[in-house]
Amino acid sequence: MKARRIVILVLVVLVAVAIQTTVFVRIRPFDAAPSLVLLVVLAYARYLPAEFALLLGFGAGLLQDLLSDTPLGLWALVLTTLAFVTVRVRERLEDDFGLLGPYVLVATVGALTLFSVLGTIFGERTLADAAVLKKILLPAVYNTLLAPLILAMAPRTLGVARRRSASLSL
Amino acid sequence: MWRPREVDRPTGVFIGLIIVSLVLVTVDIRSAGTGIGATLRDGTQAAFAPVQRFLGSATRPAVDFFESLSDLFSLREENRQLRQRLTALESQIQETESIRIRVRELEALLDLAPPEGIDTITARVLAVGVSEFDHTRVIDKGRAAGIGLDMPVIDEGGLVGRVVAVTENSARVRLITDPSIVVAVRVERTGETGVLRGRGAGPMVLEMFNTDAAVVEGDLLVTADGRFPAGIPVARVSEPARSEVGFALRTTAKPVAAITRIDFVQVLVFTRDEAVVIGFDQGDRLPTQVPADPGDPTEGETEEPPPTTSTTTSSMTSTTVPQVQP
Repeated sequence: MKARRIVILVLVVLVAVAIQTTVFVRIRPFDAAPSLVLLVVLAYARYLPAEFALLLGFGAGLLQDLLSDTPLGLWALVLTTLAFVTVRVRERLEDDFGLLGPYVLVATVGALTLFSVLGTIFGERTLADAAVLKKILLPAVYNTLLAPLILAMAPRTLGVARRRSASLSL
Repeated sequence: MWRPREVDRPTGVFIGLIIVSLVLVTVDIRSAGTGIGATLRDGTQAAFAPVQRFLGSATRPAVDFFESLSDLFSLREENRQLRQRLTALESQIQETESIRIRVRELEALLDLAPPEGIDTITARVLAVGVSEFDHTRVIDKGRAAGIGLDMPVIDEGGLVGRVVAVTENSARVRLITDPSIVVAVRVERTGETGVLRGRGAGPMVLEMFNTDAAVVEGDLLVTADGRFPAGIPVARVSEPARSEVGFALRTTAKPVAAITRIDFVQVLVFTRDEAVVIGFDQGDRLPTQVPADPGDPTEGETEEPPPTTSTTTSSMTSTTVPQVQP
């Protein structure tokens, strides 16, 4: 992969994390915010070579871990898994664009559920949260609403064709 | 018979990364808020604070606009309520002023030293946690402004949380709604004590030690002596308490601070080591925190001020209620 694309990826993740932590300080409809970094990982995993998609998930997750109190590696694990699943199903998503919206919804719910289950296992009391369902479902809905924007942004910033038929070369 | 060749390359990378993540989690949990994990965290937060500062100020006008849109309908009502409160407070100030003069006279008469006020540092919320499960806020003042670990953070309503990590120019505050936080409280009306637990969102759970204590709706809960200075409003009881058989008296209470939409906060320059209870021998400290950092066995036993080096306490934090005997 070209160095320029790696730089772009790093920048996109940094900006996504920065927006996630600052803009949603006060814009929180129903006291929840979209899970922007998760959406970015999903959007770029559709286009990147599999290994880079996984590394993107791992790196973005690690950055999230470093900026929060969760055990280091927890978000990395969740976002790597998300990237892996996205890489596995992306061919089918290309065949049927109508599946993209539901996939974003299901993937966000799945990733956040995985996070809260693992968080509880590792002693973070995430499932003890009184509003755990709201905290999983609302970000998923917001992510689905934001999906057209972020999913369309991914191929543009990478400079690849919208369809994966013209896939990236390593 | 399984052969590595059957696993394709992405799956191999995936398994490798998952193993790395699990190892990281294990190492980080074992080090419990110290060591390389804490150093990396503080470094990242310190490096990221300027980015967040820039983005925060760049997007502030847009955010303000959206916020004012959502506030449009409630503004008139809020304005009316604020006016009412202002009138009430003005008359209270008059009263307080005359009482204060009287107290000063009596103190002079009895030769008492007035209690020292606690300094405060005003800070602005810079960033929220990375997810909804992160009950933290990053504020824009750090060690350089005099903020240290464990300092209580309040807003105009009451207690917001506690500083859990400090870097040079930013600090992370853990909110009282975090499920791992327990605050020792006192019912202001009766003086009965209990503990308040966060539940992640919404009202907190109050457990009273005395199961016969009457707790009614609207009772104000203030901090008891201990981790926090006594008397800071924390929450207001939202339903009358009911005693469960064999359990403590339980009820729910809503935080009085605007936890979900805080903007400006005040950090009280107070650490638990300054809390000396009258009746204890001179220099006796309050019982300190339940050992949260197994890596630092000397903490709590020494007379030194708490280490202001920034360590991230990721393990359970709880407030010990001091057993003060008269």
